[in-house]
Amino acid sequence: MKKFLGVLVGIAVSWWLVSFGQVVEIEFNTLFHEADAKAMENIVNLFQSLHPEIKVRLVQGRWAQYYAELRLSVIAGNPPQLGICHVNRLVEMVDYLTPLDASPVGNLLELGGIDPALFPEATWKAGQMGGHQYLIPLDTHGWGLWYNKDIFAAAGLDPDKPPQTYDEFVAACEAIKKAGYYAFHPAEDALPRKLRRAWEIFYYQMGGELFDPAFTHATFNNEKGLKALEFLVNIFNAYGWNVVGGNGYAQFTAGKLGMLFAGNWFYPTVKQSGVNFGYAPVPNLFGIPYTWGASHQLCIPLQPAGTPREVYLAAMKLARFITENAYLWTMTGGHIAANSKALEDPRLLASDYWKESGHILNDMIQKGLVRFPINHPRGSELENAIETYIELAVVGQISPAEALAKAEAECNRILQGG
Amino acid sequence: MGGQERCFFPAPNVLPMKHLLSKRFRQEIEGLLFVLPYLLLWGTFVLWPLGYGVYLSLFDWHPIRGSKFVGLTNYIALFKDVRFLNALSNSFKFAAMVVPLVLIIAFLFALLLWGWKGNRRLSSFAQAVFFFPYLLTVSVIAITWRWLLDPDFGFVTFIFKYFRIPAPTFLSDPFWALPAVALATVWWLSGYRMVVFQAALGDIPQELFEVAILDGAHLNQILFRVILPLMKPAILFSLVLTTISAFRTFGQVLMMTEGGPGRATEVLALYIYWNAFEYFRIGRAAAAGVVMLFFTLLLTLLGVKILGLRSELY
Repeated sequence: MKKFLGVLVGIAVSWWLVSFGQVVEIEFNTLFHEADAKAMENIVNLFQSLHPEIKVRLVQGRWAQYYAELRLSVIAGNPPQLGICHVNRLVEMVDYLTPLDASPVGNLLELGGIDPALFPEATWKAGQMGGHQYLIPLDTHGWGLWYNKDIFAAAGLDPDKPPQTYDEFVAACEAIKKAGYYAFHPAEDALPRKLRRAWEIFYYQMGGELFDPAFTHATFNNEKGLKALEFLVNIFNAYGWNVVGGNGYAQFTAGKLGMLFAGNWFYPTVKQSGVNFGYAPVPNLFGIPYTWGASHQLCIPLQPAGTPREVYLAAMKLARFITENAYLWTMTGGHIAANSKALEDPRLLASDYWKESGHILNDMIQKGLVRFPINHPRGSELENAIETYIELAVVGQISPAEALAKAEAECNRILQGG
Repeated sequence: MGGQERCFFPAPNVLPMKHLLSKRFRQEIEGLLFVLPYLLLWGTFVLWPLGYGVYLSLFDWHPIRGSKFVGLTNYIALFKDVRFLNALSNSFKFAAMVVPLVLIIAFLFALLLWGWKGNRRLSSFAQAVFFFPYLLTVSVIAITWRWLLDPDFGFVTFIFKYFRIPAPTFLSDPFWALPAVALATVWWLSGYRMVVFQAALGDIPQELFEVAILDGAHLNQILFRVILPLMKPAILFSLVLTTISAFRTFGQVLMMTEGGPGRATEVLALYIYWNAFEYFRIGRAAAAGVVMLFFTLLLTLLGVKILGLRSELY
């Protein structure tokens, strides 16, 4: 009997040590899916193999309701210990995040050994609000120009010299159209938000701004905004470079489209399609060669009172590991790592992705040519207001001037609390 | 048993009054116990969320900074919001397209199968074909129809081109987008309603048809004087279900058009979704949900009022 009790006590002590004494369990929620999700899974698996004392539960794949779920998990007192936040969502999410430099257990940036000097200054600062640092940059992602080299050759264009000025671009579009292909698609699969991004690229290239710095009113209903929208509308109508409702992704992978504005996440798809593609920066059509982009950043959602220090430290350890090993993120997911050391990794520099497109996007980022989305507590509603009327202009339901006037009125109503 | 039913209680005439009441009470308790599991689930997953939704609609809900009671402000704001009014109008338009089409097509299919009932193989095959879309999930329906209507690669576009007719860009044209989503929904839902109508047709006594034919009734007289009146409960059931489905439509709109072009297909459920999960304006979304419930109930009661609950047979 004594022996039996001894064994029981031994098992209980071992269980306690394993459960409470050594292994810290944390949850990491992301909004990634497809290649991005696979890339993050690889990094977390690598972390797990090196840090068995931390057990990570990785939850991925929810894009549409991710932010709502993150908020609700905080409200319910059951948040993940590490999460992802788009840099432009910080202002909406700040109430639900832990200030990393002033957490309940101290300055997590110092405790976790995060060195701000390793990140581009602008990207790092984008994670600050109210004097506190809430985010740690993971990457920058954005749109570039994908073009079909075979179609270029068929149209009598140089496949190794993609257009980079307005005149070159228009000439290339006309030549491709003449050769019997769709010349250009400016907006991936033409969803409303993609059409807005295309318009923003043209508008930003002209030096335009969507709102005044204090976000008191919209500032896009002007000559530049109109010229940008007319250009976008004409692509699908007057110029005949594409058709209303055309899906750029599908057209490009089917070998029917000459040029496409799309994000770096298109790389695995286009590679798999077998299209003989090239990649170039977004051409300088209107003055400054800006492109649309954003940044994924790591965050610690607001934890319930009494969360042990070990849990915060485990989350920071994982965050640091992810940023330092983000070469894997770039190689598989295509987003350009924010950590400068990760960008110097020889495995990344030798990869096909880096040679074929990654280095070009990185060049645009380093030159500061990637414009992030607007940063406002009601940013999603403002964007929706703009894209709704841009789409109506593209499909020919209203004129570009009318679209901008309506979008401006709706944005101003939202900004005034409506 | 000797022809006598087995009885667990003594015969009523030998029981005093208090025992009689006790028996009734016990029967009521028994009945209540039978429905209790369902009531518990219904209360937990339907009644309580419904009540909480109404409660939330009266607040500017922000649990971190503190929620504020705002009374009917969310409702007033809704009816001042052109986007909400547009969504409400789209929901009505959508229901007006989907409900009659689903019922008519399902009824025609049911009649067709009823006519083929002598040929069991053909009837079973056709039934499986008509019912099949209902087995698919909304995402499969949406993706399939998005591809069918694609302006570059779509089969529907191909058919138009084959006959040298300019194909509309269905999902990008504000005029066509809502009917296109409605068409996909009709294709999806008609199969199940057809089965309901088939069952109702099968319940009509054969003698009634024989008598009607002997009396010299024409086909349309048989249809309008015999079949339709006797199918009232099935029609009402399908009408209510289809109205609720049409008014709550969400998945196919989100996946086929995201509410566009512009807001041409933004229906109430999508408006609620954007407000709740994208803008996190829970109070306003809850208020819109209550309004949606109100109109769904109103339409359902209207159907009950027009058709009545009972068939002519009973």
